[in-house]
Amino acid sequence: MNEFNENDIGTLLRLKRHEQPPPDYFDNFLHEFHRRQRAELLRQPLWRIALQRAQDFMLQLNVPTLTSYPAAATAVVVCAAVLSLKVYQTPESATAMPAVATVAVQQQAAPVAVSVASTVTDDDESWSLSTRDFGSTPFRSVSDGARTHRPAASPRYVLDSTPVSYEPSLRF
Amino acid sequence: MDQPRSDEDQQLVARTQEGDVVAFDHLVVKYTPRLYGLVYNMTSNHEDTNDLLQDVFSKAYKSIRGFRGKSSFYTWIHSIAVNMTLNFLKKRGRRFNLSLDDVDASIQNDKEFLELTQTSSPVREADLSELQVRLNEAMMKLSDEHRAVVTMFHIQGMPHAEISKILRVSEGTVRSRLFYANRQLQNYLEEFRKNPVS
Repeated sequence: MNEFNENDIGTLLRLKRHEQPPPDYFDNFLHEFHRRQRAELLRQPLWRIALQRAQDFMLQLNVPTLTSYPAAATAVVVCAAVLSLKVYQTPESATAMPAVATVAVQQQAAPVAVSVASTVTDDDESWSLSTRDFGSTPFRSVSDGARTHRPAASPRYVLDSTPVSYEPSLRF
Repeated sequence: MDQPRSDEDQQLVARTQEGDVVAFDHLVVKYTPRLYGLVYNMTSNHEDTNDLLQDVFSKAYKSIRGFRGKSSFYTWIHSIAVNMTLNFLKKRGRRFNLSLDDVDASIQNDKEFLELTQTSSPVREADLSELQVRLNEAMMKLSDEHRAVVTMFHIQGMPHAEISKILRVSEGTVRSRLFYANRQLQNYLEEFRKNPVS
């Protein structure tokens, strides 16, 4: 009696091809597959279904051929960052500019006010009015202070000669 | 067993990737009998095979957008089926019941079967259903990896190169596993030869 050789093993195993499921099994397999897919779809959360729909939509647009996903994601992040910087910085700079201008004007005006205060008296209305016009009033130099003497002031006289009483007595 | 035409598969895959569900249905119909034979002969259980096959096609449908065509769809779907079946068998362990399909009546006209019954006394003397059970028992004594190779080579008729692609091992490994599995099967079936009806 011969032993099983390798060919016999192969032949025996090939006979296993004749083990077949019931005749209608393959006909019903596709229906069963669809039924299971529907059941699985119903078990999925809503957000996942929405995500899949979005992916399908993007695939229909053929977006992946235009650019790779990482590049697209990076571009979106960069754009979002630039936009957010512009959006959040523009109003602040717009409000900051007048403030800076005000400070600058005040810094310019401060010496004027000081100089005016030092040279003009309280009862001179014209000077006080004119000094409020910060843009047009020029700085006044200290040397101009001589012209500010009021005309009503009493004249001062300087004696060039020494008093008689201080003159030395005559010597003969 | 000839491979299906890959250009036809490529068209169906491309249509499926564009969202054509009917195209994937064609692939399911086309590959179900072939994959059924693969999974069934690895599990020796009809119900497990049915569940696994449903999962295989479900996974393939979900993953088909990532299929770039580096290998043929044939190789790709077989890889999914083999890997999922091997994972299932590891979880199932050794405790299982044979749930065998009926042997098709066409076996009586099979040329190889006729030759075998004329030359091999164990086969000639054994009842057909007994022979089927013994064959499946012998197969289940192999390790999962060896059974996968035997199924693909002897039953599915795949060449060594295709098996190596599916299992992602070298052709040498495939041949080595096949040699070892054949030796083991010979030993298991020797008992059947010595005592065919026990």
